[in-house]
Amino acid sequence: MSFSKNIRELYQQEIKDIQGLGIFKEERFIHAPQDADIEVEFPTGASLKKVINMCSNNYLGLSSHPEVLKAAHQGLDSRGYGMSSVRFICGTQDIHRELEQKVTEFLGTEDTILFPSCMDANAGVFEAILSENDVMISDRLVHASIIDGIRLCKAQHDTYKHSNMDHLEQKLQLHADKRLKVIITDGVFSMDGDTAKMDEIVALGEKYDALVFVDDSHSSGFIGKTGRGTHEKYGVLGKIDIITTTFGKALGGASGGCVSGRKEIVELCRQKARPYLFSNTMAPVIVSGVIRVLDILSQSTERRDKLEKNANYWRNGLSEAGFVLKPGDTPIVPVMLFNAKLAQDFSKDLYAEGIYAIGFFFPVVPKAQARIRTQISAGHDQFHLDKALEAFIKVGKKYDILGKTKQEIIEMYGM
Amino acid sequence: MYGKIKEDFEKKLQNIQEDGLYKEERIIASAQGVDISLADGKRILNFCANNYLGLSNNRKMLEKAMSVLNERGYGMSSVRFICGTQDIHRELEIKISEFLGTEDTILYSSCFDANGGLFECLFQTQDAIISDALNHASIIDGIRLSKAMRFRYNHGDMGNLEEKLKEANAQNARYKIIVTDGVFSMDGDIAKLDQICDLADKYDALVMVDDSHATGFIGKTGRGTIEHFDVMGRVDLITTTFGKALGGASGGCTSGRKEIIDMLRQRSRPYLFSNALAPMIVGATLGILDELLDTTVLRDKLEENTSYFREKMTAVGFDIKPGITPIVPIMLYDAKLAQDMAKDLLSEGIYVIGFYYPVVPKDQARIRVQLSAAHEKEHLDKAIEAFTKSGKKFGIIG
Repeated sequence: MSFSKNIRELYQQEIKDIQGLGIFKEERFIHAPQDADIEVEFPTGASLKKVINMCSNNYLGLSSHPEVLKAAHQGLDSRGYGMSSVRFICGTQDIHRELEQKVTEFLGTEDTILFPSCMDANAGVFEAILSENDVMISDRLVHASIIDGIRLCKAQHDTYKHSNMDHLEQKLQLHADKRLKVIITDGVFSMDGDTAKMDEIVALGEKYDALVFVDDSHSSGFIGKTGRGTHEKYGVLGKIDIITTTFGKALGGASGGCVSGRKEIVELCRQKARPYLFSNTMAPVIVSGVIRVLDILSQSTERRDKLEKNANYWRNGLSEAGFVLKPGDTPIVPVMLFNAKLAQDFSKDLYAEGIYAIGFFFPVVPKAQARIRTQISAGHDQFHLDKALEAFIKVGKKYDILGKTKQEIIEMYGM
Repeated sequence: MYGKIKEDFEKKLQNIQEDGLYKEERIIASAQGVDISLADGKRILNFCANNYLGLSNNRKMLEKAMSVLNERGYGMSSVRFICGTQDIHRELEIKISEFLGTEDTILYSSCFDANGGLFECLFQTQDAIISDALNHASIIDGIRLSKAMRFRYNHGDMGNLEEKLKEANAQNARYKIIVTDGVFSMDGDIAKLDQICDLADKYDALVMVDDSHATGFIGKTGRGTIEHFDVMGRVDLITTTFGKALGGASGGCTSGRKEIIDMLRQRSRPYLFSNALAPMIVGATLGILDELLDTTVLRDKLEENTSYFREKMTAVGFDIKPGITPIVPIMLYDAKLAQDMAKDLLSEGIYVIGFYYPVVPKDQARIRVQLSAAHEKEHLDKAIEAFTKSGKKFGIIG
């Protein structure tokens, strides 16, 4: 031990710097299950406040759905609490394999391998299948976990401008000599809510003999007519070589993720992916819940339909009120405020009005791109959305930004 | 375009098979425990789980998980800092700090992620990470993701560690951190934390211990290797898991100096970019820690089981890596022998796994037995009997 005064002060200073920059992340304590209506303690020690949650990844409203809870209870009863093992020692139950098969069927792939999280799936997949002679060509806005996976892999790395297909094609030409090429993208980009052009990406993959990888964490369960994800929306089912996704968002929201795709790739992950070999198997209780979620989604598109309707209603409502939105058609609806302090003040005022939505600013989004990211859920009912809309308009009026352009807002509040 | 690439992958898989390194998964059709059922209906005794305290299917913990499931729901669908923090998440962090005698704690989805997200946000190019050669894969990945200078000392070799500390000083390292597993999972030996802490004091270095194979049962009251070596409060950072002794579902944490925990909460990538721990796992882990704070009966029984098994197996003539932990490596040296004997034991109803290169060094193949507080004496006797029979069959004892 030598946590000297020196080093303690260094870290204290860094924390102070983060606070000084106005980018300190403060956690709010929720005293309830995840849902449209929650009870929150914020700031710490304050009495509980009932608010409408407009910023969770609970897209399908399944995080505390009675059917999912029931399945989790059954899982606990029949398969216990924990496995205390990695998969290949004594951590594989029949329900783990059943879930892998269900995911494969749902996504229309050849096989699936479970990971403790999609973060771990992304961190482990590239190193398991690629080597020095290969190249990974990734969209510049892919998720942090993909970036970490790329950093842990010895293959070469290049990027293309966000969703710029010409630039991607140039990079594919530039790397024509590499043994294996992989195009890497998010399906839906979490900060902007836009979708990758999966049809064009697949066409380029075919033209230049490159594999296609997509992280569909913000799509699985609700994007596409039957909620299979961005590959369904763009009519390229069966043409994506590697899909990673999470059970931690729309699909119940507990935890867990997977790599789904070509049989050989999945098998190589099973033999070589480090987070698979060196971290616990998914807990039976969570596996049981996800199996039930997939059953629910396979039986009916009711929930994703409601989500789509809600998202359209919300987007139109905000747009008509005069907010600047990022264009798109996903349940991620960023309300652009551009200035970091404005985003935080706006969020605080919304909270006072009973609406829970968080401000995002640099470094999570680029400078001068601060925003409130709203996320719509099938768990929202019309009155939730109307109440939230009312609050947004009230606070929008207070800051006088309704009907104002990006330029005008920046002139009023700075970058 | 999945064309000739497919053949390339097929070839790789074939090589893994030809090298005898292919990992086959056995499918269990029951809850985790001592007495488990395989998919084909066969009942076997499990001697290879990290279920050290037998809590993976403990009735009381199951009930706790169920009640929290009802009160706090199934999933949070969020990272911690957006809308993924419940009151019980903070409660668990405080409880762990109390259990480990630390200043503060931060939860992760797994200890793998705790280790993966630790080094990068604390240490820069001018700092030095000095790591035991046999540290866990997740520590290695965490170090790979950081930009700090890297030094590796020979496993458990304090002389070599001191040399590396001098080397780091010679390179003008601003901050140094010594990184070690508490209990090494393949050999079951314990890092010499008392000597490590002395060296850290002498050379002004921080100390980090991954106590995943120790928390809950090593030390008189189960606080881990830090208690075993009486260095509680001297170790700056502890990472550990809830995926082994503490119920075995999932989740992990980093516990230690308050400022470091604060930094991790602001900067650590697996914390900022991965889901909050599911409520029922948080709730059950709270219940488990309450139980362990209350009584040492489980860790005492595990200790008793461990000495009994180690003594009997040694008396029968097996070559066992010496130690005091419930990880008992039965040394066989040859990879094929380790696999054949594990198979033979399974046919006798004893579930153990052979480990060989590259998981352990070449010519160091073994069967790793892991004991549990859930084992009764009759289970241990049955295993010893099966080992004896099999050992004789393969001509390695008697």
